[in-house]
Amino acid sequence: MIGAYVELARAHAPLLMVSVAFGAAALAMLSPPRLSWFIACAGALVSAVFAFDLAWRLLAGGGAFAFLLEGVALETDGVSVFGAALVSLTGVLALLAAGAQLGDFERRTASVATALGLAVQTAWIGALAARDLIGVFVAAETAWLAAAALLALSAERGALNGALRMLSAGGVGAALFLVGAALIHRSAGTLDLPAIAEAHIEAADAAALGAGLIVLSLALKAGVAPLHDWLGAGFSRANGAAAMIVGAAAVVGALTVLVRVAAYFVQAPAIGEGVSIALAVLGGASVVIGSLQAVGATNVRRLAAYAGAAQAGGVLLCVALGSPAGVAAALVQLTALAATALALFGGAAAGGVRTLEGLDGLGRRAPLAGAAMMAGAISLMGAPLTLGFLGRWRLVEAGVGAGWWWAAGAVIFASLAGVFYGGRLIERLYFRRAGEIYLGGAGAWRFAAAPLLLAAIVMTALGVAPGLLLDAADAAAAQILGAAA
Amino acid sequence: MAADVLILRIAFGLSLALLIGGAAAAWVSDNALKRIAGGVVAALGALSALAALGAPAALSIAGAAVLFAHVAFGAALAVRLQESYGAVEAPELDRADSADETAEPTP
Repeated sequence: MIGAYVELARAHAPLLMVSVAFGAAALAMLSPPRLSWFIACAGALVSAVFAFDLAWRLLAGGGAFAFLLEGVALETDGVSVFGAALVSLTGVLALLAAGAQLGDFERRTASVATALGLAVQTAWIGALAARDLIGVFVAAETAWLAAAALLALSAERGALNGALRMLSAGGVGAALFLVGAALIHRSAGTLDLPAIAEAHIEAADAAALGAGLIVLSLALKAGVAPLHDWLGAGFSRANGAAAMIVGAAAVVGALTVLVRVAAYFVQAPAIGEGVSIALAVLGGASVVIGSLQAVGATNVRRLAAYAGAAQAGGVLLCVALGSPAGVAAALVQLTALAATALALFGGAAAGGVRTLEGLDGLGRRAPLAGAAMMAGAISLMGAPLTLGFLGRWRLVEAGVGAGWWWAAGAVIFASLAGVFYGGRLIERLYFRRAGEIYLGGAGAWRFAAAPLLLAAIVMTALGVAPGLLLDAADAAAAQILGAAA
Repeated sequence: MAADVLILRIAFGLSLALLIGGAAAAWVSDNALKRIAGGVVAALGALSALAALGAPAALSIAGAAVLFAHVAFGAALAVRLQESYGAVEAPELDRADSADETAEPTP
């Protein structure tokens, strides 16, 4: 009997991984703060179990799962299940760690903040599971507004300024997405993502413009430079938990959705080349601008955000290649980005650190947070045996295979810049005396951050034994490109 | 060119002008309220463009719903900004925020 229910649940996994978590978010909003945190974590965990089960079945078995409901269309492909597993894992860890910083929110808003944190990650998973551009739009805007609201609930007023920037940028992004989707519908006669890749497109220029507008809109939400005006203001003054959830789960979610949508666009013969050029230009610019800004950053969270923009540029360069090797490299880079974001945002939150000066001696005061941040910094440098190295190596392989030598140059530039700012982090963590009083948590709740910090270290070290990750990324890329072909 | 096609093209052009004007205001305006309003104007331009392009009704409805959510959240945010800073001018907000922070390079 129980087995039959489990099978039924597995058959509706795409729907359940979204609806269970949204239900938990609603329940969490109505509960007292600490109970709301438990409910949100449980909802996120259930969603993650469905996402991992789905990823295992699709990527190991090569099956196709389509679930069509009246008015709402969900369909999973290789990238969506890989991305859903990654975003749900990132979200669960961030939400768990948020338990240590729940006291930073006002008591009357803590439950709402917890619910919003869960809603952010769930909405991005919904965007990943959406079959058409309408579903992607609704889910992406839900995630964006929830993220802006989460930042706005931070205790410091500076976070309101960040939320304002997010809102104004998001309004423009939503408008671009809508026009882009309308142009594609007019040219291709459909908004279904798999169908766009195969459609006979009548007005190629209009469709390419539409695809470009959608890519721009999603890139803005993913914090890709130079569209990342909201990043610095958004993260620097937000509560540690809010910055951690938005900086890790939301940014990774947005970037994964961008990879998925772009993977369909680059397969469409009429628009693929134009989209590929747009992605390459945007990716190259993001690598350079993000790296330069990270070098000059004096705030740990801003440094993490700008380094993330540089990594996001690498992801776009991978997708721009339009090959299975490129998409697989993008997924490996996404995993590296998630690990780095968890390490840096999580470590900074656990250590109660904002400025670079605050990092001085953190390795001794908070060993686990220091170790996680060091792992993130080493990965940012692209040191061998780390996930950061693996992601960049796969990009170089795919880029050189396609004759894109300049992409390899961009990766080398990102690594050189990473050596500078990553090295600066390590130097402050372990080779300086503390100049500030330790502001990390003191109660038992501080251990809630431990799973995140340990996972960040383990994920970064996946470069040592990357077999499973590489196989999953290759299967996901082959599935989405095969489905579109 | 048929008259209805010409009208649709003019409508699309005007919608794009509305979108670009709104986006510019949202991006560069000094006033928080104007930034929020700029985003709303841009979204209205996009909704008009959807109508001119004959987009599916579901997309227009989704766009209108998102626009409503932006307006509601923007209004709440504007009130919170005024309460917290005593101002809604973006330069004043930035000055207040960066008073104790070192400047960083911008792109």
